[in-house]
Amino acid sequence: MFYVKWGFWALFWIVLVAFLHYTLPDHDIVRITDTYERRIEPGDNALFWSNADTGDNTQASGRDVFFIQSFLNDEKPMVYRNEDTGWGWPPYFKFDTSNLQAQASDAKMNASGENARWVDVLHYGWRNEFLSIYPNAVSITPVAGPDVRIIPWFNIVFLVLLGALFWAIRARWKRFWRTREDRAGDEWNDGTA
Amino acid sequence: MLALFRLLIFGLIFLTVVYFGLSWYFRSERRRRMERDWEAAGRPGSRDAYVEAGMEQYQQSLRRRLIWLVYVVPVTAVIVIIYVTNYM
Repeated sequence: MFYVKWGFWALFWIVLVAFLHYTLPDHDIVRITDTYERRIEPGDNALFWSNADTGDNTQASGRDVFFIQSFLNDEKPMVYRNEDTGWGWPPYFKFDTSNLQAQASDAKMNASGENARWVDVLHYGWRNEFLSIYPNAVSITPVAGPDVRIIPWFNIVFLVLLGALFWAIRARWKRFWRTREDRAGDEWNDGTA
Repeated sequence: MLALFRLLIFGLIFLTVVYFGLSWYFRSERRRRMERDWEAAGRPGSRDAYVEAGMEQYQQSLRRRLIWLVYVVPVTAVIVIIYVTNYM
């Protein structure tokens, strides 16, 4: 029983952390080298592709997806997809995919060398080669250079508030069961009111 | 457009559940506090009348009206996110 309980909580925390890591925004400092679009037929990895209903037909199985090819500031390659999230999950409410692609292709001019243009790509999601999944770029902002450090204020505030919410619910939950146990030993069963 | 309505309807249902859950919880907390108050005050008069008078005050209070933030905060957050993501 001990291992079952332990395993349950371990699984719970792994899933929660993975979920938050996937969903919360993250910043990369990159130089964009190319932008393109490619036809995608999501299969088993459909969960990791957006299926935004922003006016387009959602019945079609395959569609063209924008991609942004780049190099991170440690010179490792990174490829982003650029898809609307629309009104769905995760709640980024992104509708400006085509505009973002225009910005990305503007940033790919002068992609390497001394005067390379570095940008901060705000994104969510994971790059995984085995599943063929790509993080979704949400916004692109020019930055001064490859060593710019971005403090994730939103994530800090969000996680603190989420922790406070969990704590508040947990404290009330514990108190609820404690008063229950107290009440179980009152005049009804021990006769010493 | 269907996705927008789906978000609105499910969002409204979810927030309404939260709203009623919270208002029930805060009301029962307040009632318990009034009952304890009545004892601390030396049991003045009828307990029910004391508690009811306190609850009457609570119904009018700002504290109770703040529960409407359950609706206000998420809607504001969505509008802000839409602006930041698409227009900034």
